[in-house]
Amino acid sequence: MRIFLFLLGLSCLGYVNAQTADALIQSVVAKINTVNDYKAELQIKAAIPFIKVPIADATIYYKKTDKFKVESKGIAILPKQGLSDLTGFLSNTKSYSAILGEDKTINEHKTKLVSVLPSAENSEIILAKVYISPTDALIYRTVLTTKSSGTVSIDYEYNHNKQYALPSKLTFNVDIKKFKMPKSVASDIRNNDKKKKYKENEKGTIVLVFTSYEVNKGLSDAIFKED
Amino acid sequence: MLLKNTYNELLKIATKIRSYIGIGALTLLIFIVLFAMKADGKSYVGFVTASFEQTLSFNGKILNGNLIAFIIMQMLIVHVPLLIALVTGDLLSGEEASGTIRMLATKPISRTGIVLSKWIAATIYTFIMTLWLGFLSLFVAKWMFGTGDLIVLNSNGLLILPEADLAWRFGASLLVAFLALWTVATLAMAFSAFAKNSVGPIVSTMSVIILFTIIGTLDVSVFDSIKPFMFTTHMAAWRSLFDDPFPTGEIIESVVILTAHIAGLLLITLVRFNKKDITS
Repeated sequence: MRIFLFLLGLSCLGYVNAQTADALIQSVVAKINTVNDYKAELQIKAAIPFIKVPIADATIYYKKTDKFKVESKGIAILPKQGLSDLTGFLSNTKSYSAILGEDKTINEHKTKLVSVLPSAENSEIILAKVYISPTDALIYRTVLTTKSSGTVSIDYEYNHNKQYALPSKLTFNVDIKKFKMPKSVASDIRNNDKKKKYKENEKGTIVLVFTSYEVNKGLSDAIFKED
Repeated sequence: MLLKNTYNELLKIATKIRSYIGIGALTLLIFIVLFAMKADGKSYVGFVTASFEQTLSFNGKILNGNLIAFIIMQMLIVHVPLLIALVTGDLLSGEEASGTIRMLATKPISRTGIVLSKWIAATIYTFIMTLWLGFLSLFVAKWMFGTGDLIVLNSNGLLILPEADLAWRFGASLLVAFLALWTVATLAMAFSAFAKNSVGPIVSTMSVIILFTIIGTLDVSVFDSIKPFMFTTHMAAWRSLFDDPFPTGEIIESVVILTAHIAGLLLITLVRFNKKDITS
C-alpha cells in the first residue's frame, strides 16, 4: 500500500511538473502570439573560425505565422537554427513534450530549465533546453541540439519590447564543422605555409543586435516574396 | 627616334593577326566564364559555402560582379601569360625569321634603341591586355551580375570584404597583375633575343612558367630557399591585395622581385642583342 501511494505521489508530482513546464512555455508563447508582425534593424557581428566577416547591417521582417525575411545590402552571416524556427516550434504545443528541470540564474535572471522533446520522429530539433524566467515569462537561454547543425546555444537580452518577448540582443554559439576548400577553387599558391589547423568542436559566435522595432504596424506579404 | 621606332613597333603588333588572337581568346574565355556563372553560378557558390551551410546561412547577394571579376582574374592570370608570350616572344626572333632584322639594324637607331622600342611596345600591349581583362571582368561582370560585397576564397577560409573597400583593391591588383604579366613579356622577349624563330621563345616562356609553378606548389623543403626569388611565386601577388590585414610587406617584396626580374631580363636581352652577329 505504501509503495502504491509512493508511486501515485511520484506520478502526481510528474504531472504537476509537466503542467508547470507547459505553463511556462505557454506564458512565453502567449507573449509571442501578441506579435502579428514586426520589422527591426539588425546589426550582425560574427566571429567564426575560417570566416572573416565585417559587421553587417540588415533589416529583419516577420509576419505571423512563419513568414520571415532578413534583407541585407551586403553579405550577412546568420545562424541556420534558432532565429525563426524555435518560436514556431514552441507555439505548436502538440508537437513536443516538456519536462521541468533545474533552476538557473542567467545574467541575474532566475530561470527554470524546460527540456523540450519533439514528438515527431524526423524533427530537425532533437532536444531544446529552454531557460524561462517565471517572473517575466521570457526566454533567457536556449540550447538547441539539432540533427544537422549540432548544438546551438542562444543567449537573449531584452530592452524595450519585453511585452512582446522580442529580444534586443541575441548571442548565438554554433558548432563549426571542418572547413574544406579545394585548391582548385582557392588557388592561393602563396599560402602553403600558413594553413590554419582545424581543432575539434570549434565554436563560432554570432551576435545580433536589434533596434528600431516596429511591432504590429502591418507588413505586406509582398515583402516576403523571393527576389 | 626611340619614340618613332616604338610607334612603328606598335604598328607591327597591330597588323599581326596573332596580336588579336590573344585579345580574342581572352574575350571568349571571359564570356564563357560569364555565361557559365549566369547559367549555374549558384551551384558554384554553393560549392564554396557548402562547408558552412549546415550551421550558417549566407544572406545577401553573394554571386555578384565583384565575385565574378575575382574568379575570372584568378582563372585567367594563370593563362594570360601564354597569350602575352604569343606576341612578345615574336618581337625579336620574328624579325630574324622573316629576314627583316638586318634592315632593322641598318636604321639610324642603336641596337639598344631597337630593343627598348620593342620592349616599350610589348609593355603597351601587355598593359592593353591587362586593361581589357580588367574591363571585361569588372565592368561587364558588374553590368551582368550587379555589385555587392566580395567573398574571397582561399584555403584558410572565407574573407568577406565590403563593397566600399573593393574599387581600390581591384585597381591595385590589376597593377600588380600587370607587373607580373610584364615580367612574362620581358622573359619572352629575352628568349626571343636568343632564338631564330617565334615558336622557341613562346614554348620556352611557358615551360619556365610551368616548371617554376610546379616547384612553387611542391611542399618540399629543398626548394624553400629559392621559392621567394622565383617570379612565378609573385605572379599571384595581386591576390594579396584582397587579404585582411593588408600584407604591405609581402606586396612590396613581390613588386621589388618582379621589378628586379624585369630589369634583369631586359639587361640580358640588351646584352645579347648588342652582341648578336646579325647575318640573316
